[in-house]
Amino acid sequence: MQLTFINGSPRGKNSNTGKFMDNFIRGFLETDGNNCDVEYLVHHRKDLDRLVTIFSNSENVIIAFPLYVDAMPGSTKEFMEALVPIAHTGTIPALGFMSQCGFPETHHLRFVERYLEKYTRKLGCNYIGSIMKGGGEGLHIQPGFLVEKSFELMYEIGLEFGKTGSLNPILLEKLAQPESLEIQQIQGLVPYVNEKLWDGWLAENDALDKSFDRPWD
Amino acid sequence: MKILIFNGNPDVNDVQFDTGITQFANQLTDTGHNAEIVNLREKNIRPCTGCFKCWIKTPGTCVIKDDAIELSEKFIHSDHVVLASPLMMGYFSALLKNALDRSIPNLHPHLEEVDGEIHHKKRYDTYPDIGVLLKREESTDQEDIDIVTDLCTRMCINIRTSLSFVHFIEDSLQEAVNAVNIH
Repeated sequence: MQLTFINGSPRGKNSNTGKFMDNFIRGFLETDGNNCDVEYLVHHRKDLDRLVTIFSNSENVIIAFPLYVDAMPGSTKEFMEALVPIAHTGTIPALGFMSQCGFPETHHLRFVERYLEKYTRKLGCNYIGSIMKGGGEGLHIQPGFLVEKSFELMYEIGLEFGKTGSLNPILLEKLAQPESLEIQQIQGLVPYVNEKLWDGWLAENDALDKSFDRPWD
Repeated sequence: MKILIFNGNPDVNDVQFDTGITQFANQLTDTGHNAEIVNLREKNIRPCTGCFKCWIKTPGTCVIKDDAIELSEKFIHSDHVVLASPLMMGYFSALLKNALDRSIPNLHPHLEEVDGEIHHKKRYDTYPDIGVLLKREESTDQEDIDIVTDLCTRMCINIRTSLSFVHFIEDSLQEAVNAVNIH
């Protein structure tokens, strides 16, 4: 089975999306005869045509991106628009998606997920499905066992996909935990993330005292 | 009211769309508003790189020095912002989405609870209401409209404002004008 994995993260090779991708691909490649090509969208922005050709020559494609303002980043949408000329042609791959967001709840991704399924239909591709994961930012401040669990699930989802060509819905649901949070959980989590992640980064940049600056007031 | 219209039509040959936007702006001006159209395709707006420097290094200002900085300021100084785009495969043009991605300096990185979900804190006390003006594609059906409307609603929750309307330029523009007026 052949897979082209298109990493749409604007951060390129140094992204959280890439960490999830790596584990998925590790699982996918466990099946003999499978091969996977990784393409970074940031390297193709000046010439999307070449990536469109790579797309149409693929058997399966997964496009991965971080959630930006509730949808795909503008640069990922540029590529999705570049695919329009090959819609409903004979040589298009099966298409799936992977997305992660910084918000801890995977619920934030469910709206763009509906769009991605519809987009795939508009393009005329068979829809593989979407792998959705909340809590994708600040992996370094999260308990190690939780991060490992997510990576392991990505591996298992990749493994199953490599064997069957399908995404296992039970594994997708496990990966997506927590889908949403109770108020008490939010109240426990938010101060930790604000202090450890954001204030930590602000302090590293000597910008903690400027955190609430309002340049346009 | 100060109304800013982001025209996200990438196609200079789609005269119907641009004419509709101009008519819409004129109708707003006729009812006493100050309406300004920004043609995004004439602006230099590079895509967000996800560096977070606008949150952790130069809070409130993007480090990419291009036209998005000026738009970010205009956004905050408006009472109402209208996002205008022809639907392209069922969603905003990449041109408009790239501009929206560059608006995050106007939020604060800290999280807080909003109606049972986690969202970012506000950087400013108030934000302009958001209206959305679209143009249907040949294939646009009710499912597309529901999906894009939900994406707009979610975006407005996340950027801490409210969605005033989603209308189509091929329908009555008066309805969109009324929606701005009552909001």
